[in-house]
Amino acid sequence: MSSAIDQTRRMLSLVTYLRERPGARVSEVARAFGVTERELIRDLSVLPMCGTSFRGGDLLDIDTDGEQIWWHNADDVAQPLRLAADEATSLLVAARAVAGMPGLRERDRQALTRAVAKLEAAAGDVAEGSTRVGVTFEAEGDVFAEIDRAFTERKRLWLNYWSSGRGELTEREVDPIRLITEGHTYLEAWCRLSEDRRMFRLDRIAEIKVLDTPSDPPPLELRDLSEGLVHPSSEDPQVVLEVAPGGRWVAEYYPHESAEELPDGGLRIVLRTPDPSSLLRLVLRLGPDGRVLAPATLAEQARRAADAALARYAG
Amino acid sequence: MPIAKSERLMNLALCLMNTKRPLSKRELRESIEAYREAGAAGEQASEDAFNRMFERDKDDLRELGLLIDVVENPLDGELGYLARRDVNRLPEIHLDAEEAAALSLAAGVWEQARLAGAASGALQKLRAAGSLAEDDAEGRTALQPRIPAREAAFEPLLVAARDRRPVGFDYRKSGSAVAEARTVEPWALEFWHGHWYLAGWDRDREDVRVFRLSRIMGKVRSKGGRFTAEVPDHVDVRQAVARFAGEGATERARVRVRRKAGFPLRAKAVSAQPVDAEWDELDIPYGLGLAADLVEYGPDVVVLEPAELRADVIARLRAVAGVGAVASESEVGA
Repeated sequence: MSSAIDQTRRMLSLVTYLRERPGARVSEVARAFGVTERELIRDLSVLPMCGTSFRGGDLLDIDTDGEQIWWHNADDVAQPLRLAADEATSLLVAARAVAGMPGLRERDRQALTRAVAKLEAAAGDVAEGSTRVGVTFEAEGDVFAEIDRAFTERKRLWLNYWSSGRGELTEREVDPIRLITEGHTYLEAWCRLSEDRRMFRLDRIAEIKVLDTPSDPPPLELRDLSEGLVHPSSEDPQVVLEVAPGGRWVAEYYPHESAEELPDGGLRIVLRTPDPSSLLRLVLRLGPDGRVLAPATLAEQARRAADAALARYAG
Repeated sequence: MPIAKSERLMNLALCLMNTKRPLSKRELRESIEAYREAGAAGEQASEDAFNRMFERDKDDLRELGLLIDVVENPLDGELGYLARRDVNRLPEIHLDAEEAAALSLAAGVWEQARLAGAASGALQKLRAAGSLAEDDAEGRTALQPRIPAREAAFEPLLVAARDRRPVGFDYRKSGSAVAEARTVEPWALEFWHGHWYLAGWDRDREDVRVFRLSRIMGKVRSKGGRFTAEVPDHVDVRQAVARFAGEGATERARVRVRRKAGFPLRAKAVSAQPVDAEWDELDIPYGLGLAADLVEYGPDVVVLEPAELRADVIARLRAVAGVGAVASESEVGA
């Protein structure tokens, strides 16, 4: 989706760009501008309605056959425009955050640091706004060098991984798919142990080795993660929790179907997960602030875990 | 079919950039078709509609970075508008292929629509200016950093902090069901440990406060007037949040952890020694919230000391086990 503001901004840059490139290829321009060819064609259908003169005439005579773009009365109607405050902020904040990422290659970090300095100079006063937004990615760089090498050399990885669901370290071999950073950094990989794709949080990898075996994940479609990393399916079993006011944070952290207010200031939260027992740790953490209404197996599992733990104190 | 807004904005921008003398509102209205279509001049209702549209359009172009001069005609006092080429030109900047590639990686991190649009818009300006060397996609890092900002409060706070405008919102404190109205001068936004925080001057409490965006309920309301408190040069949101989250704890707790379990505890342990074939003993920093962290591990973790932490963990376990009134607990070692 592109707003009218984004489109106007793009069209202003387009006329500067196209003036230098008679017969530019639609595919190349679309790539250079980071838009789909359809979006670009839409821009090109608006531009002929735009012009510089007052009282008609002098419209931009730009047309395309879908392959190439021609501007028959190309003129100096626009120029490379200064950066706006939001533009400088978005680029500088992102660049500084990425430059501070533990996993980044040194060469990329240096390039980014140089780019930030040049941008700050070019943005001038408007760069100041970027100091009002800060982003920190978590420090999980210890294992990154191996992961990076596995990607570059297309090799399989051996992990000793602490799975929060099982509460244990497990050894497994995985074929890397991609790395995703959203606060924490996750390795998405095809797990040869479970024969399924899995997310591995980098700070939970206790040991890592690059294997000689080539990485060979099955052909997969990358999932759209714009709604978050966790995508519960409506097929998954339902879990119903009641939390006291002290447990309301659950609704902030866990994607859920519904959260209904309770008279005592608590919430009744309905969520779905492929494996309800993966919520055992959550139930234990909630303690007096939480109660499992369904499924009964999860409630029972939590009770047994608490009993077993109490036995260690009673011994 | 009504004329698309982008076409109207584009025409206004081109007119303002390609005139040597200031253009009056009347002249602009006559030369831009979308304004002519908005209604006939002279009629009060359409006059008002045009004026509102024109003001909004100017604001939108300013969002794009266009500086628009407003000049009063000395003869008739009429206001004229123009966007001077010299002040609107991007200064000379050149990024080599490595810098350009690194910057494109960074520009792609935003998921929030406004900042994502602004970041790609900035790259487009640089691209159009010939400032970016062509980068080859080879040898790129596998990293795909993303910055989510799904909270509805994010965009209005971003804009209010930028324009230094006070805001009002309903805020629900952690663990509280009721939201309270707050009036805040927003200073800085910070993404940390996967959450967005706002630091600013809380007018009612007359002090600096940090708010988590996900706890802002309903709409962020823009308040009139300007900031009253001085904005510090450097706002350390992280330090304020860290203090609250119990990080930087100086005290220690001693716990036993089953051999293969509790990896996150081991990762932050100050020291660890094996006790027997099955258990290790760890010294870990003792900060706010540790009892909840420890109880997650169930029977894989046993707290040795301090006594208050041990009691807290036992009480939490009892609540889950469904043991009624908390009886006196035996103080036996694990």
